[in-house]
Amino acid sequence: MIAVLVLLIAPLLAGGLSLVVHRSGWLHGINLASMGALVTAEVVITHTVLRSGPVTALDQLVYLDALSTFILFIIGTVGLACSFYMRSYMDEQVARGVIAPSQLNQFFFLFHMFVLAMVIATMANSVGVQWVAIEATTLATTFLIAFWRRRESLEAGWKYLILCSVGISLALFGVVLLYYSSLHVLSDASQGLNVTHLLPVADRLNPQVLKLAFIFILVGYGTKVGLVPMHSWLPDAYTEAPAPVVAMLAGVLEVVAAYAILRVRVIVDHAVPFAFAGGLLALLGFASFLTAAFFITIQHNYKRLFAYSSIEHMGIAMIGLGVGGPLGTFGGLFHLLNHALAKSMAFFAAGNIHRRFHTVEIGQVQGVAMAQPWTAMALMISGLTLSALPPFAAFSSEVQVVAALASQGVPEMELAGTVGLVTVTLSDQFSRVALVSVFLVGAVLSFGGLLYRITGMVWGTPPEGMVREEIWTLGHLPIILLTMALMGFTFFLPPPIQQLLERATSIILIH
Amino acid sequence: MQGLSSLGSQLVDLCSALLLLTCFAIVAQRRLSACVDLFALQSAFLVVTAALVAYLTGNHHIYLAAGLTGVIKVIIIPRVLKKVIDRLNVKRELVMHVNVPTGLLICGGLVMLAFFIAQPIIPLGSLLTRDSLAIALAIVLIGLFTMIARHQAVSQLVGFLVLENGLFLGATAATYGMPLVVELGVFFDVLIATLIAGIYTNRLQDAFDSVDTDRLTVLKE
Amino acid sequence: MFLAIMLIVAQTAVLLAISPFLVGLIRKVKARLQLRRGASVLQPYADLAKLFQKQPLLSTTTSWIFTATPYIVFGSTLTAGLLVPTFTSQTPMNFAGNIIALVYLLALGTFFLILAGLDTGSVFGGMGSSREAIVASLAEPAMILAIFAIALTNGSTNVSTIVHKTALLEGIVTDPSPHLMALAALFIVALAETGRVPVDNPATHLELTMIHEAMLLEYSGRYLALLEWAAGLKLAVFLSLIANVFAPWGIATTVTPSAMGIGLLAYIVKTAALAIFIGVIECMFAKLRLFRVTDLLGVAFILALLGLLFFYILRS
Repeated sequence: MIAVLVLLIAPLLAGGLSLVVHRSGWLHGINLASMGALVTAEVVITHTVLRSGPVTALDQLVYLDALSTFILFIIGTVGLACSFYMRSYMDEQVARGVIAPSQLNQFFFLFHMFVLAMVIATMANSVGVQWVAIEATTLATTFLIAFWRRRESLEAGWKYLILCSVGISLALFGVVLLYYSSLHVLSDASQGLNVTHLLPVADRLNPQVLKLAFIFILVGYGTKVGLVPMHSWLPDAYTEAPAPVVAMLAGVLEVVAAYAILRVRVIVDHAVPFAFAGGLLALLGFASFLTAAFFITIQHNYKRLFAYSSIEHMGIAMIGLGVGGPLGTFGGLFHLLNHALAKSMAFFAAGNIHRRFHTVEIGQVQGVAMAQPWTAMALMISGLTLSALPPFAAFSSEVQVVAALASQGVPEMELAGTVGLVTVTLSDQFSRVALVSVFLVGAVLSFGGLLYRITGMVWGTPPEGMVREEIWTLGHLPIILLTMALMGFTFFLPPPIQQLLERATSIILIH
Repeated sequence: MQGLSSLGSQLVDLCSALLLLTCFAIVAQRRLSACVDLFALQSAFLVVTAALVAYLTGNHHIYLAAGLTGVIKVIIIPRVLKKVIDRLNVKRELVMHVNVPTGLLICGGLVMLAFFIAQPIIPLGSLLTRDSLAIALAIVLIGLFTMIARHQAVSQLVGFLVLENGLFLGATAATYGMPLVVELGVFFDVLIATLIAGIYTNRLQDAFDSVDTDRLTVLKE
Repeated sequence: MFLAIMLIVAQTAVLLAISPFLVGLIRKVKARLQLRRGASVLQPYADLAKLFQKQPLLSTTTSWIFTATPYIVFGSTLTAGLLVPTFTSQTPMNFAGNIIALVYLLALGTFFLILAGLDTGSVFGGMGSSREAIVASLAEPAMILAIFAIALTNGSTNVSTIVHKTALLEGIVTDPSPHLMALAALFIVALAETGRVPVDNPATHLELTMIHEAMLLEYSGRYLALLEWAAGLKLAVFLSLIANVFAPWGIATTVTPSAMGIGLLAYIVKTAALAIFIGVIECMFAKLRLFRVTDLLGVAFILALLGLLFFYILRS
């Protein structure tokens, strides 16, 4: 499979070249070329997977089915958008003297390694290799987050490194337990972590061990997703990192981590009643959603506002995936895509505003519509999408999640026994109504908080002496394209994406 | 797996218990450089455990893992940490969020918790030892606790490394080592993570003139 | 009956003979590690002989407790020693008491030593007594728990039975993890109770740090000799306990001359090895501040507790 090799070699090569090339034009060129190659390979693979089913390559190390191809699609799209945006963003930072030109090499090297790690995490057949790759994303991004080397960014970077490393280590314990359970069933121990080998025998794995493994993995990768209560690194990191990096973190890394959870979840669901994993996911989803909704209403820093909005939307996606059923799962996956597109656009806009206004305080930003019309449009559209208003795609995915919640309710949690948590059993009808109402209250809260803040920034008059024009750059291209995608997906989901989503849903829904 | 001598399994059990013992020493130790020494000692016990398991089960790739542990965790990482410590203006004794006896009590509780969690799954395995998996989990939890209980960047790092040792013990003693690709990847990650954290500590020292993480309070709601 | 009496005599002789040797050995190891030649290993014997010939001086403020204490301490420690197997697993005083009696015989000695320290009315004596009381009260619970952990895994509180069972066992010990925890706890307690380095420094008479020496400060002549000898005995008792409970290799399980001979040899080797280990520790670590001693003994307590709980959780 040439396409698979391209996916691996393109970022690797680009990373290597970024260390030796010194002209910034070349660096951007390499970046765009590698992202272009990535997307092209992605398209080829999508085609193959849709036509002839899952692909394995490289001596069973690589396994690509509809679910992982869908995640690759998100990586490619957001990555390409970021590469365009970086062109104007990074050059301006160099021109303003914020960073030395030599630091650009470091930046691009780390960026490519980050992309490579995410690609490996998505393609890996072995859950262990996936773990290694996800830990590698932590290592690659920690210096990207602290890239400005201010006290604040160092603090954010350290928090990120420590919290995520610890979380990921717990996930490794989960992986060890998974392997432990597979040893009794599989004869060939060296394949004991491969999804392709685990899935056929998954129903014979020991449920006790799997439950424990899933809890560790959920907590571990959940840290990376930014699920409450493991989220405390997230707002800091998103405030301090350079805008294109945040767009990647929020748009892609969270999705990859969520994908890692889903992979294990599919295995666990074979042996353990569906309600176990689903219930845990929905529980964390609700916790994240409600906590984030509350913090959105009291936020006065626009980057943190978007950070909490990320937590909120990952919460929504987790609720959808946790509630399950065709509707909930489809909605959850679709929401991952919509959120990735909208959030990267929101952070592009935030980066633009920060460059012009030199502040992250919402109260000090006014009249973006006059000062930066394009950015204002991006800000409004991402804001409307993130508040899940029609006609944007997040509306339809969120409605699907709510509908699934209303019709099925949260799977009853049977956590007692193994973990010693208290079983919560409400009467079915009542609990569903209550959950939907709670969800709607949270949605209204975040809707109000987000839009109130964003409209305050967009309208009004800009401060005295602010330049009132926005020069067209390559960085505006992704904004236009993302807007079109977000609006278009509501009315017409392109058939390949639709099929990918449906197949991915059926992979997750095993019953 | 195969008919193993009870002496062999007792030895593995003993080594795992020694690992747990060094954990307690690290929790009780207030001097930073001594913590690093103890970590090196713990890693040395880990090497012995891994080599024993490799010998008893005949899985030769565990020898490789044991050797790598020896090189990376007994030699390289402690040296890097010592260098980092030399540069810092750390006082001789560390400040802790929790005093030592309380910390020890909590760790004792964590060990109990680990045994409680692992109890239902221990009888499943054709395990070499009864306790190793539970002890591994206990070490992971104690490492986690060390990271929370201490202010100081380097000691948080030591906590992380202890946690990692627990994971490796779990992978070796309970499952006779993970597949080789994974094992190598994990080593690579741990090494890089430690180096990165070392660099961070230096930068924190330059920026804040301290590596007390309680001073990292610029960012808040 | 005759055999029992013979054993009592033999064990008394062995204990009395070996204790000054152990003290001397530790001093020698320390000296060598500090690049000194050091006194001969046999120096403590000469010291004792010299002290016994000197006339004791008594302060006029002292009561009968002061003169009685050396005999009580020496007697109780020696009796405790007879409850611990040394070269044979069958202790001569098997009938007289178990491991709990052992602990309290040692505690009796400590109690009278503390009283004697107070009795002189000197400042140092009182200071030493109060410190010894702190250390003893912290070490006691840890020791009891550690001993219970061992007793539970072997199903007996009789040291002799424990050692006998372990010695006849295949493999190293019945249960490595609880045993190791108890061993570590007991070792720390042994260091504390015998006034060894992280807790007390037997080599110094520096007023700010001494504990045990402060209580003996007013003693002289044969009284001092008895107390020094008792301190050595206590060390020997602890080392025998640790060596034989955790590593009963080579101990005589039958009453034949050859087994006894091997047992005696093994006993000397094991206790000497432990003494060398203690000497090394004394060189490697600095004495802890008094308020940090609680940390150390806290570790011992938790470890002993864990050993005990391991038994209940794992084997229930």
